[in-house]
This record gives sequence, C-alpha cells and structure tokens, in this order.
Amino acid sequence: MKARMDKAPMDKARMDKALLEVDGLVVDYGRARALDGADLRVAAGQTVGVVGESGSGKSTLGAAIGRLLPRQARVEAGEVRVAGEPVLDLRPAELRRLRRNRLGFVFQDPIASLDPTMRVGRQLRLVLGREGRGDVAGQLARVGLDAARVASAYPHQLSGGMAQRVAIALAMAASPELLVADEPTASLDAQVREKVLDVVFTLAAGAGTSIVWLSHDLPAVARRCDRVAVMYGGRVVESGPAAAVLGAPAHPYTAALAGSAPAAAAPGVRLRPVPGRPPVLTGPSPGCAFEPRCPFAEERCAVERPAPVRVGEQDALCHRAADLVGELEVVA
Amino acid sequence: MRLLLWWGGRALSSAVTLLGISVLIFAALRLMPGGFAETILGPFATPEQKAELAARYGLDQSVLAQYGHWLAAFGTGDFGTSMISRQPVAAELAARLPVTAQLTLLAVAAAVLAGVPLGVVTAVRARPGGGGGAGRLLSGLGVSVPEFALGSLVVFVVSRYGLQTTGYLLPAAVLSIFAISATARTTRDAVLGVLVEQHITAAVARGETPWFIIRHHILRNAAGPVLTLTATITAYLLGGALIVEYLFNLPGIGSYVVQAVGRRDYAVVQAGVLLAAAVFIVMNVLVDLLVGLVDPRLGRRA
Repeated sequence: MKARMDKAPMDKARMDKALLEVDGLVVDYGRARALDGADLRVAAGQTVGVVGESGSGKSTLGAAIGRLLPRQARVEAGEVRVAGEPVLDLRPAELRRLRRNRLGFVFQDPIASLDPTMRVGRQLRLVLGREGRGDVAGQLARVGLDAARVASAYPHQLSGGMAQRVAIALAMAASPELLVADEPTASLDAQVREKVLDVVFTLAAGAGTSIVWLSHDLPAVARRCDRVAVMYGGRVVESGPAAAVLGAPAHPYTAALAGSAPAAAAPGVRLRPVPGRPPVLTGPSPGCAFEPRCPFAEERCAVERPAPVRVGEQDALCHRAADLVGELEVVA
Repeated sequence: MRLLLWWGGRALSSAVTLLGISVLIFAALRLMPGGFAETILGPFATPEQKAELAARYGLDQSVLAQYGHWLAAFGTGDFGTSMISRQPVAAELAARLPVTAQLTLLAVAAAVLAGVPLGVVTAVRARPGGGGGAGRLLSGLGVSVPEFALGSLVVFVVSRYGLQTTGYLLPAAVLSIFAISATARTTRDAVLGVLVEQHITAAVARGETPWFIIRHHILRNAAGPVLTLTATITAYLLGGALIVEYLFNLPGIGSYVVQAVGRRDYAVVQAGVLLAAAVFIVMNVLVDLLVGLVDPRLGRRA
C-alpha cells in the first residue's frame, strides 16, 4: 500500500480510504487465463460498475474478491486486499470472519442461490440468528417483500425478482462494507430489473456499503454508479468516474463498447458491434489484448504490455491513450 | 383430494404388481421339475401313493383351480399351511421374522452410521481430478465382492480358528460391507452434486463454517438418492438375505424359503416371495413420501 501511495501521491485522499484493492491479479483455469493482471480500487462507500464482454474476466474478478473461485482456478500472481486484509493469504477462520463481517455477495441466478429444501423464513433466521439482529419480517420488508407470504414459501415458489430480493436481504443482513453483485439482474425481466437495482442501491446507501456491480448493462451502470471499470482480456483497461469513462472514453475498447450499447444509438441508426472476437488467452498477453481489434493499433501494441496512463480523470491501459484524447467518440 | 387420488393410485398399482408376482411365482413353482409328492415319498413311491398325497393337498386339481383357491384364502389373510410342518405359514414366517429383522437392522444401521459420514467426508475433502483413489477402490471392492465369497471366507476363517460363528454380528458384518460401501458411494456422489450448486457458494460467501454448511445445506439436499438406496437395501435384506442366512445357518426368512423351494413346500415359497415383494413395494412408497418431504420441489409433483 505504501508503494502505491508513492506512485500516485496526488491520489492520496482516495488511496487512504481504499476498501478494496486488487493488484496485478492473474488467475488461470487449467490452461485458460481468466485474469491477466487485473487492478481494481474501490473506496469506502463508492459504487463501481465493472463492465465488459462475456469472458472478459468480470466474474472471476468478483469471485476472487471473496476468494470464492472455483476449485480448478489457480491464482498465479497478484493480491486482493479488503480493508487492508490480504484475502488470498488469510487462514480459513480469518477468511470466514472477513466474509461474515465485511463482504456480501449477490449472484446471477437468484433461485439457485437459495437452498431449495428450506423455507425462505428459515434461511433468513439461520443468518439473522448468527447476526443477532433484525427480525425476518423486518428484513423482508426492507427489500420490499410481503413477509407473511414469502417467509413460508420455498425458493422454487418465488419469482426470480422475489428470490433475488431474498438473496439481497441475506447478503445485506450483516451490513457488509462491500457488496459484490455479479450480474444480479441478468436473469430478470426488464421491468423487475430496475426495482431490484433500486433495492440494492438504496440498502447499500443506507448502510454505507460499497458496491462492485459486475454488469453488461452500460446505460444502467452509467446512471447508478460513481465509477466504472472496463474489463478486456482479463485486465481492467480503463477506470474512472462513470460520466468521464462512458462520456469521453480514454481507451479505444471503451469507445467501441459504448458505441455498441443499444441506448447509445439514435433510433434508426445501426448499432456498431465491436469488430472481431474477444481474445481467449492461454498465458500472459504479449502486448495489448485489444490490439487485433483496435483501429488505432501501432506496432508496439502487439509486443509491449501497456502500463496505466492517466488521461483526464481516468486511468487507461493504452499506449496511445495520450495521442487519442479527443479522437475517440461515442456515437450518441 | 389430489393427495388422496395419489395414494389411491399407488395402492392400486401396488395391488396389481403383487397380483402379477403371485401369478409368476405360482406358475414358476408348478413348472419346476419334480413335485411335492416325489420329494416327500422318495424315488420308490408307487403312483397310487403319489395320487393319494396329491389329492390330500389338492394338487390333483388344475393349476388354475389351485391358484383361485389359494388367492381366495390369501384374500382372507390365510397364507396357507406348510405341507412339511403342517403349521400355518403365517406363524412359521412370523417366528423367523425377528432373525431377519435383526440382521437387517444391524446392516442398515451400519450403512447409515458409517456409510453416510464416509461419503460426506470423502466428498467434502475431494480435490478436483483426485477422484478419491483409495476410497473409490475400497468402496468399489465392497460393492462388487459377492456375499457368498466374502461370507464363505469369513465362515472358513472363523471356524478354522475355532471361534463362535453363531450370533448376528458376523453375518451382519458381511452384509454391512456391501451396505456401507454402496451407501458411502451414493452419498459421496450426491454430496459432490450438491457442492457445486450456487446456494452452497452463497453460504460459503456468507462466511458459514463447513460444518454449518454440511448440517444445514448439504445433508438435506443430498438425502434423496441416499434414502432411496437405504430403502432398497432394507427391503432387500428384509426379504431375506438368502445367502448369508444360509451360510451362517441363521433361521431367518431367507433360509426358510430356500429350504421350502428344495422341498416344494408351495405355500411357504408363495407366501415368502410375496412378502418380500410387498416389503419392496411398501418401502418404495415410503421413500417417495420421505423424499417429497425432504425436497419440496419433488413433493409438489405428486
């Protein structure tokens, strides 16, 4: 942490309050590389949207924050610290304490993330009993559910939206400092999505909980999050305040991604998909992973890994970020 | 109402199954070479003697008439009379039931008390790609070594060194090897299936301890296949663990029915086989009910 502060002294205020620090994280699944040196920094109380295509490493990054990686995953390098504690090096009991007290997780499939053999009320009581706070009815009311009806139901009797509210109540029961939400609304109907997100962000704001929201939904992230981190090829290629990153991208990939979002296009205008395919890595990317798809690529982009560059308010992993200021535009 | 219909359907299908089995066993017994008279009177009996004996037990009537007669009696709870001992079959079977029941209880208790924990522990500690080599080999051996081989070996070793072979412990131990191995394997597979479910990850993410997760979230979710297997083993053993009872000379239902087959004691074999089938059917219904209670997703379907 000291070293970091030396590197970026003008960011001292932000660094002091860092709740989550992910540094150079490298994770392999067998021969496939999921994270290729990912960095992420979240301050207390911040809401951060992590966006990127499928396979960009979002879910792996989210799981690594709680050391919840699947068994076949191997951490090759890097560090994860939550409130200064080295998550990847903690002993089992310390790790459980960290998860209980500081972390909360919400997953993509809400019904599958509840125990199918147990009534909702009992699942909540199991968690609340440990916390020794709040009653089941109160917790359910907090997430906008009718306690009388939901508490006695089994998960498969709930709709996806209701189940996700229950999962949110479970995750927020201990008022964690950081909530990691891995595409919590991806499997829900469009009308339900906004309401569920309202619940997440309202509860988090009330409890002072930071949010790391892994999402495909660029416009929703732009509306709700303080900051955005854009992932590509297992790295965070751009991060910064949401308005700056999505309004004036510093990385060519961010610009391409923002241009491909449905909301970015005016009616009647064709969406512009990002040309080419996302990379499948089997080892460290020799240069910039976006180079084959990048319209601005130079020779060194293929052979030299880009270091973070400060452009305006955001950090970008791009050799040409400084040259491209004002060049990248989002079709809106 | 729906539940009532379900039970009615189950009862009806069970009755039809039992009726079918009774026809099969009746036919099979009559098709066996050598009749009751030959077995009892020996090879030098005259045709007159045989005819007289057959007439006494109604064996001179047509098979269809015999079946109708037997079925009518069975309907009133009369299982017939042993032609050897001249005692009512029901009483003879009841006298042997405690032996078989104790053997079953010991073996099933061992399966549940040892097999389930073994399965849970090996599943929870399993590493990817590890496959649980030694445990898998051992349980594979336990499942596939036939009872007569293991039983004969035990009887040989024990009698060779002049030890007691009476009592239930040894035969129960022989049966337990299979029961424990099968239960451990089934439990392990079921738990491994539950471990990859999202709600287990969610519980881990909430910082629950492994023991808490096993107790509250894994056992119940993995119970279905284990319950089904335990019921099958129980039914199988209750019907008479033929070979083991025979090897260890235990006067249980299994050895009694085997003996009766040899002597063409028709009523005993018919009642014994039908009893075993009935136990199987009842156990299956009970398990369906239990599994429905344990996993509400399945209970709804009924």
